[in-house]
Order: sequence, then structure tokens, then C-alpha cells
Amino acid sequence: MIARITHLCVIACGAMAALMLAGCGERPQVIEYKQGKYQGKPDEPPYAAAPFNGDQAKWDRDIRNRTQNQNEYKRIGS
Amino acid sequence: MARMKFLCDAERCIECNGCVTACKQENDIPWGVNRRRVVTINDGVPGERSISVACMHCSDAPCAAVCPVDCFYRSEEGVVLHDKDLCIGCGYCFYACPFGAPQFPQAGAFGVRGKMDKCTFCAGGPEKDNSEAEFRKYGRNRLAEGKLPACAEMCSTKALLAGDGDTISEIYRQRVTVRGKGSEVWGWGTAYGRPEAPKGAPGAPGAAPAAPTGGKS
Amino acid sequence: MLLTRKSDSAPSTAPRLKRLAGARLSTMDRRTFLKRSGVAAGAGAFASQLPYGAIAPAQAQKEGVKVEKKRTVCTHCSVGCAVDATVENGVWTRQEPVFESPINLGAHCAKGASVREHGIIEHSHRLKTPMKLVNGKWQKIGWDQAINEVGDKILAIKKDSGPDAIYWVGSSKHNNEQAYLMRKFVSFFGTNNCDHQARICHSTTVAGVANTWGYGAMTNSYNDMQNTKCALYIGSNAAEAHPVSMLHMLHAKENGAKMIVVDPRFTRTAAKADEFVRIRSGTDIPFLFGLLYHIFKNGWEDPQYINDRVYGMDKVKADVMAKWNPAAVEEVCGVPEAQMAKVAEMMAKSKPSTIVWCMGQTQHTIGNAMVRASCILQLALGNIGVPGGGANIFRGHDNVQGATDVGPNPDSLPGYYGLSTGAWKFFAGVWGVDYEWIKKQYAEGMMEKPGTTVSRWIDAVMYPNDTIDQGPNVRAMVYWGHAPNSQTRGKDMVEAMKKLDLMVVIDPYPSATAAMCAMVRKDGVYLLPAATQFETSGSVTASNRSIQWREKVIEPLFESKPDHTLMVRFADKFGFKNELVKNFEMTKDKDGWDEPTPESILKEINRCTWTIGYTGQSPERLKLHMQNMSTFDVKTLRARGGPCDGDYFGLPWPCYGNAALKHPGSPNLYQTSRHVMDGGGCFRANFGVERDGVSLLAADGSYPKGSDLTMGYPEFDHVLMKKLGWWDELTEDEKKVAEGKNWKTDTSGGIIRVAMKNHGCHPFGNAKARAVVWNFPDAVPQHREPLYSPRPDMVAKYPTHDDKKTFWRLPTQYKSIQDKNVADKVAEKFPLVLTSGRLVEYEGGGDETRSNPWLAELQPENFIEINPKDANDRRIQDGEYVWVQSPTGAQISVKSLVTERVAPGTTFIPFHFAGWWMGKDMLEYYPEGAAPITRGEAVNTATTYGYDSVTMMQETKTTLCQVAKKA
Repeated sequence: MIARITHLCVIACGAMAALMLAGCGERPQVIEYKQGKYQGKPDEPPYAAAPFNGDQAKWDRDIRNRTQNQNEYKRIGS
Repeated sequence: MARMKFLCDAERCIECNGCVTACKQENDIPWGVNRRRVVTINDGVPGERSISVACMHCSDAPCAAVCPVDCFYRSEEGVVLHDKDLCIGCGYCFYACPFGAPQFPQAGAFGVRGKMDKCTFCAGGPEKDNSEAEFRKYGRNRLAEGKLPACAEMCSTKALLAGDGDTISEIYRQRVTVRGKGSEVWGWGTAYGRPEAPKGAPGAPGAAPAAPTGGKS
Repeated sequence: MLLTRKSDSAPSTAPRLKRLAGARLSTMDRRTFLKRSGVAAGAGAFASQLPYGAIAPAQAQKEGVKVEKKRTVCTHCSVGCAVDATVENGVWTRQEPVFESPINLGAHCAKGASVREHGIIEHSHRLKTPMKLVNGKWQKIGWDQAINEVGDKILAIKKDSGPDAIYWVGSSKHNNEQAYLMRKFVSFFGTNNCDHQARICHSTTVAGVANTWGYGAMTNSYNDMQNTKCALYIGSNAAEAHPVSMLHMLHAKENGAKMIVVDPRFTRTAAKADEFVRIRSGTDIPFLFGLLYHIFKNGWEDPQYINDRVYGMDKVKADVMAKWNPAAVEEVCGVPEAQMAKVAEMMAKSKPSTIVWCMGQTQHTIGNAMVRASCILQLALGNIGVPGGGANIFRGHDNVQGATDVGPNPDSLPGYYGLSTGAWKFFAGVWGVDYEWIKKQYAEGMMEKPGTTVSRWIDAVMYPNDTIDQGPNVRAMVYWGHAPNSQTRGKDMVEAMKKLDLMVVIDPYPSATAAMCAMVRKDGVYLLPAATQFETSGSVTASNRSIQWREKVIEPLFESKPDHTLMVRFADKFGFKNELVKNFEMTKDKDGWDEPTPESILKEINRCTWTIGYTGQSPERLKLHMQNMSTFDVKTLRARGGPCDGDYFGLPWPCYGNAALKHPGSPNLYQTSRHVMDGGGCFRANFGVERDGVSLLAADGSYPKGSDLTMGYPEFDHVLMKKLGWWDELTEDEKKVAEGKNWKTDTSGGIIRVAMKNHGCHPFGNAKARAVVWNFPDAVPQHREPLYSPRPDMVAKYPTHDDKKTFWRLPTQYKSIQDKNVADKVAEKFPLVLTSGRLVEYEGGGDETRSNPWLAELQPENFIEINPKDANDRRIQDGEYVWVQSPTGAQISVKSLVTERVAPGTTFIPFHFAGWWMGKDMLEYYPEGAAPITRGEAVNTATTYGYDSVTMMQETKTTLCQVAKKA
């Protein structure tokens, strides 16, 4: 009986050893996946730095103004 | 709140490739990568039309949906950008995109794909705005300078429009009104061939082509 | 933006995973530890919470950087799109569109959007140093050696054979100052053997149009086309050759203008047309006169206009009604009556209507007649001198207009003064040199004789000496800013290249000349690197005659030198430097070479080109225009308010009188509804006062608005001034200079000032335009079949001219070649018409634009457009390489593009390619690192003999070929 317990222990120890050995130095194969959520570096909005310095309204106005350069009607009329 | 969009007026596009080289020049794009291309249908016959195509910066971008490493994001202005540091070059976004926007430079002897590259609406990418790193990876950040994409600003006939959706649709609407026809160009009838317009109206099958009297086209 | 370099900070897969893994898991190895701390530091540097002052290392460099903005003009076509170049510490880093420009409003085509490539040093395909061909290989040499060897060789040939043995091909890409200096240079060298690209582009236009009504230039402007109600494009593919002009046209079209395109091909321009007319290549006159037939038949012409301002329309009408009825028209050009009537009605009923033409009309043996037919159509409709009307001639290269006006023309001194003794004496005065000294430079009797043309230089080399009308054969060629593959008969050209004693190429790129020469010779060829127009300042004349000033963007790259600096250097070698630079302000460039300032050269041009009014455009006025572009209205080109108030943009010539007169320029020529000091005008009195009892002067009641003289009058000279009693209005100083002179030779400008400002009269007179040009081979334009015509039956009905024994110094064949072709049944063996033309991505001979990777990628191979029927007849499939065979025996290998763009029986090949020779890549013949990125066959390797009967323009638009599948 002791032999059987020992035998079981050996098997259990062997199994645990195997498990532990398997756990050592193992790295997961994939990154932790959060579906749909951007995983990259942060980006700042276009109005963050100079010359706008965070003034979103000014950036909006400037962009809308600048878009009119693509509209020759503004300069030519019809 | 600006929502950035592209709109290419096919009545004006003359396939000059100005948009293509403007993008190449402004973003220093290598040979083989074509962020913007001009597509022509009915080449060489009456009915020839061209349209300039790059990333459409979709509201629900299929590229972002399928990316296994989630390297895509949408800025508040609606520009779809991605992080090249994360990109694994798998090409799923290329399969997903209906416009063929994702571009892959060929690398290595076995044609291994490099990092995906695509039109950024001249908004750079997730690096410090107007930094050397941003330019090297993503090209110019014109939006951060208060400018608009180089392709649209340099278009030879002002066919390609880029900017806030409200503004450019105003510009386009004015042209369409002046022309007297063409508003149905982007409609369901054209896209799906559905004979929705009543008989005799422009766009309906069997309708007479827009009369040349008055001469507007 | 190099995505494939592994050394990028963007890590590849495994380390990235490790880094992110390391951030989350407790397991740690040394690599992860190091990476984690690196990430933390990196994240800190890029975090946006950092105060503005703390910038990344890359940004820090910008603080000490000198950033400048330079305004220049694209160098690739005659529209003249402005470009703002950002230069940081002397390096061209960015280009921005110039929205303020009234001409292009910021728009660019593929070429304009990529001009920044000219400032890139890495992987540049430029010619970087002087080179010499030694035993078949290109060797780098120094400038001193180059100038000395080339100079010595040229001087030796000159001593041996006279100055006419050296041919100087100048450039339409030189700015005005360089082009003008070139003409002066060759004059002092002692020859009229000079020319430039205008010969092969619009020479027939200039001759035909100038002989019709006075000046041979675009009468209105690209902008003015917004005022048109109907535009007829005949032989013009504006969508590819002048893309930004389509901005104006499409805007006009949107607002109701009609657009008609007439072309053998369904071009990209035709895709935008309301009406497309396909005609057989070379049959423009039957088409235009066929339109006139309907116009006259229906009484749609403008009788008042014709009566007042046109001579000879009745003769034209008689010819048209007799010859060009609908049946004849359809037989010759293939257009049915219904379509002819429709187009005629569109042009007649939607006025003002305008006509646009380019190479499609000019490059024929009867080009001079074709352009006149276009002029006559517009005269009949009363469209000349009207905003929205006019003859809108789109010129080619960026400064072909300027080079034609003031540059190296074989038959004229600058300003179309000609080569008469009077002209020479006038210029001797302006140049401050002794007339006799110039005369001594020339060989006996050659000073007043027009030189030969660039289109025929090979014959000047090869023909037996007793057949050519100059002492020696040409023994040396200097290709100064011109490509060889834009001239016909490439097969003959290499033979001429073999025979030459010396070939010199002065160009920013080696050009196909270098490769062709290295292919057939071992030595005697020199390549000298010239700087581009971005590496110098100067003025450039757009097709609409507006002059724009370019600022220097960057210093000349590599060892290149600006062309005017090289001219001075060679003048020094040849012993006439002091005469050449007499009136100029001289500076030293960065290498200590003498360089005249472009401003001082322009000032000399201002002092002498009274004929065409290049006198009011001083450098100061031009620079002011460039700085205040936004003040100019786009439709009228006039400044409203601002520092240039009242001026027209670029002071389009003629801008009469000196700068002090402040003439605003002339946006639309011959416009009688405006005062002459307001840009108005009338037709020129250049052809006499009367002919066959009919007055050639304008009728009573036809005059520029506000003129004191309300009838026709001849050009102004001191005699007329005295007769009119206006002589005393000149100042005493002016009188001294103007005594005995006319308006063209009066360097005080007094005659012009008094006539124009005081009395509203036009100095060149007020006359009728000539519908009948009696000094041309055909007084009324006649259709004649091309020399290589696909229709022998038409040749029988409409044969070409008789051979000429001496024409521009060379015997020139017409009938003998055409008859031989019919006898040899050439049209049966070579049944396909071969025509050539432009692509939007490239310019001219193409070596420059094919060296720009952003452009080269878009058109990597040369191709032939062939109709599906012709392709199937030959079992040719789309995309396969085929042989295109020429009656000359040459054959070229191009890719087939099977398309309905061309009709059965017509094929098309772009002419921008070079670098292949009959199937073989010529890469090895280019200097190392200086071959264009894309190379292909030059279509002109396979083109044939044929020259215009007035200007020696080459017949490139209609020849014959056979296309064969490769075995």
C-alpha cells in the first residue's frame, strides 16, 4: 500500500513537475486581445500643437476657410 | 466638429494623375506603394470617366474591423489611421477594404509583405505631430498645419475635394446645380441600377439623355 | 518613409510581442527589462502632456534652420502654374500650391505636383559633372578641361570651315534672359545656324498667324476661355498636354459653354466634349473649310466684321463653296454632312466661340495653311479681338513663347526684327557694339541669310556639299537644352551623329543624345551639366503672353551651371565676352564664375523689343505681380486695387512703351472695344497699304476705342507723326532719338508714347487681317495630302507641293517623295497611319521627367494604341510587345495597347520615350547613374521625311507604319 501511495505520489509529483516545468519560461503566444479597441500609441488631435495650441474652434475655422481654395467659384463667380 | 471626407467629381477628373504624384511627393512614398490611384472606366470610348481613389476613411472601417492586432483608430475628425509599430503585415485589411486602400511594399526575396501603408488624409499617424518620426513612417501631417491633403489642394481641375464633409458637399452641390444635372450620379439608381426614378426623369432607364439645349453639362 | 528597413524603430514581430508581454506579465528576463525601461522612456518623450518647449531631437534641429519661401513657376508646360518652394538651409524640402495665382489657382498636373524632385540629390539621375566620351566610355572631366577642349575644337572647326559649320540648338526651356543671350551669343559667334523647339512645335502657327493679322501668338488666354460659349479643340489634347487649362474650360462648360473636340483619336479631352468629331489625320483644311461651307451657305458669317477688318474673304468664300461641299469633305476627312452642319451651327450660334489648336494642326507639310484655315474660320465668325473668342494657341514647353519672341531663331534677331541690315544696325546700337565688327564675325554673305533649322540639321551634316546653301557642311552640333528624339528620322540622325566631328550636350540630363552618340561613336562627344530653371532666377512667358518672374529656389546642384553663366564662359573662350556682357550687371557665383544678373539682361530686352512690346515688363513690375497675385481677377486677369491696380497679370505682351508709360499689358489681342492704353488693339498694318486696288487698311469706323484716328492707318514712323502734326508732342530728348526712325526702332519710346497715350492710336497701324496670304505657297489654304498618305486616290486629287531646290539652305523634297510612295505602293505595305502625341506624365523628349520616380512609375513602358480590328487582323493581343515597322526600314519594339481610342487604320505612340534602339535597351550607353528610370523606344526612330512648306516644321502627325507580331 505504501508502495501504491508512493507510486501515486511519484506520478503526481511527476505530473506536477511536468506542469511546473511546462510553466517555466513560457510566454503566451498571443497578446491579450480586446476586440475593436485600438492597441497602439496614442495620437494627438491636429489642433494640439502650434500654431493652434489646442484651439479646436480656430482649427475648424481655418480648415473650412482653406477648403474654399478648392472651389474656384469663390474666386471666379460664374 | 469637422468630419473629413474625400469627394471626386467625375465630371471634372481628367485623369491627369496630379493627385497621385502630389501624394507621392508630399509623403515621400517609395516606388510600388500607391496610396492614391486614378481609376478609369470606359477607357477610350464615349462615356469615359475617371475618378481618384484612395482611402475613404469609412465611418465603420472594414480594415479596422478585421485587423487582428487592432492597429487602426479613427480620429475625432473621422480620419482612419493606424499604428505601423503594431502592424504585422498580414494583409487582412487589404482583403477587407473595398477600395484597395491598404498598400504593401514588397520586401525580401520571398515577397514578404512589409508594414501596411495607406492614405492618411495627410494627418500623419500616432507619433508626435510634424516630427521626423511621423514623417518617416506616415508622411506629412498637413492637418496639424491647418492645411488639407496635398492631392485635393493640387488637383488640376479641382475635381478632387477634401475637407470637412459639409463644406465640400456645398462646393459640389453648387457645381451640380450649375450643371443642371448630375445629382443622381451618387444616388441609389446609379449604384444599384434600381429604376427608382419615374419614367422620363433623368436616371431612369429608357429616359432620354439630358437635352443639350441650355447646354449645361 | 522607408517601411522595409529592419533598422527602423518599428520592431518586428517577436521583440514587439515580448515588449508588450513584458509590460503585463510578472515573468521577466533581462531583455524584457531593458525593453520595458526603453518603452517607458519613449512613451515619455512622445506624450502630449509635455510642455511645448520640450521638443524631440529631430525638431530641435529646426530651431537653427533658415527657412525660406521661394516663388517659382513649373517648368513643364506653357500654362505657367506657380509653385511655392520651401527651402530649409538651402535644401528644397517642400512645395505648396499657390492658390493666389490667377492662372492656375493652386492647381497642378502630375508634373507640376512633383517638381520638388528637381531638388533631390540622393539617387538623382542628373548629369552631375562634365563628361567626355573616351573610347566608347563616359569619363568624368573638370570644367576647365571641358571648356578648353570643347572651345578649342569649336574654334578649330570655325577656322577650318567657317562659323556656319557649327550648329547651336538653343532651348525653349531657357528663360527669356538665357534665350535672348543665346541669340546674341550665336550672332557674335558669327552664324545664324541656331534654333529651338518652337521649330518642331508651333513654327507653322507663328508664321501662318503672324502673316494673317500681325502677331503669331495666342490671341486670348487660358483664363479668357471662361468667357467663351463654344470651344473647338482641333488637334489639341489639352487634358494631357495642358491639364490645368481644363480647369478654366470645365468651369466654362459647367456654366453653359459647349465643347467640341476634333481629333483622329478619342482623347481624354474628347471624353469631356459635348461633340467629338473623328477626322483622318492631316485633313484639317477640308474640315475647317467644310465648316465654312455651312457657315457661308447659311449666312452665319459676320459681314460687318469682314467688311471692316478682313481682306480677301471673298476669294476664300469662292474657293470654299467651289471645293468643299459636304460630299468632298466626307470623302477626304471622313466626317458626314450632318455632323459638319451641327458643329458649324454650334460655332456660329454660340458666340463668342473660340478655337484651340496644337500639334495636331501644326506638324504637317501644310501646317502653315492649316493654321491659317483656323484663323479664317474665326475671322469669318468675327471672333478675333473678342473676349471669349480668339485663336487660342496652346504652346508647349514652359518658355517656348519667350524663346520664340526673343530667342535663338535662325531667321530673326530677338523680337521678330528679322535679319535685314536695318535690323542688324538697330541691334548693334542696342548691344553697344560696332555693326561692322558683327559683320566680320560672319562668313561672307551669310549675315542676313536665315540659318537652317533644327528639324533638318542631319541633312546639313549629311547632304553633299554642293547641294546645300552654305559654305561648309555642319560639322559640330551643340544641343543646348533640346532632346534629339523629338525630331523625326531617328535612323538618319544616328548616321549624322556618326559623321559629326563634335557633339556637345549642355543639359541638366545627359538626354538621349548622349546615349545615341555613345551607341554609334567612340569619342568626340562632351556632356556639360546645366542647371535647371529652379536653380536660377529669370522671367518666363506663358502661352497667353503673360510673363512671370521665377525666384531662384536652390543653388545649382552637383557641378551644374546656369546656361547664361556658361554662355559667358564660352564667350570668354571665343574672345567676345566683353561685347556679350557689355550692358549687364555682373556678379560672381559661388565658384567665382562670372554671372550676369537676369534682371540686367531683362532690362536690355526691355530696351530693344519694341515690336512685340517686351519693353514695359521691367523686373520690378514683374516681381510686384508675383508678390500680389491674389489681387488679379481670374476672368479678366486685371488687378483691382492693390499695388498692381489696373495691370493685367504678367503684363502680357505687347506691353508697349517703356516701364514709365505703365501700359497694363494686352490680355486679348486685337480687341477694338478697348482703348489701346487699356490693352486694346487692332490688326497690324504689316503687309502694305493696298493690294489689287483693295485697301489693306481697316475700314472707316473700325478702330480701337477712344482713338483719335477713326479709320485705318499704316504703322507709325517719324514721317507719319509729322504729317499728323503730333511730332512736337515728343520731348526734345525723344525727338533727337526718334528722328528718322519708326515705332520699332525709336529707342526713346516717344513715338509710341505720343501715339498711344495722347491719341489712342496703335503704333503698328490699323489694318485688315489677310484671309489671302499672297506670299505663301498657297494664297488661299489648300488641302494637300501628307507625303506618306494612306490614300493614293486622295494623293491624285490633292497632291503635295513641288520640290524646292533651296529652302532654309537645303534642298527639300515634296512631290518626288509622295510620287515615289504611290509608285512603290507604300500605303499597301504600311497600311496603318502612325501618329504621335503627348502623355500627361511626361514632357517633350522625356529624359527629364522619366528621371522623376514619381512620374516614371505611372508610365513605365512605351506603347502603341491599336484598334481591336487591326490588332485581330494581326493576331495581336493586348499587352504583348510588337514590332512597329516604318517605310524607312526602321522598326521599333513597343507594347500593344488594344483600344477603341483609335479608329481602325490609325495607330498612336507617345513621343516622350527614348533609351531603346530597335528593341535593345540603351542603358549601357548612358553615363553611370544618369540614365532615366524608364526607357523605351523613341517613336521618331521610325518616322519619316516631310517638312512644312514655309517653316520646315516636321510632319510628325501623319506617317505610315505596319505593326507585326513578334515571331
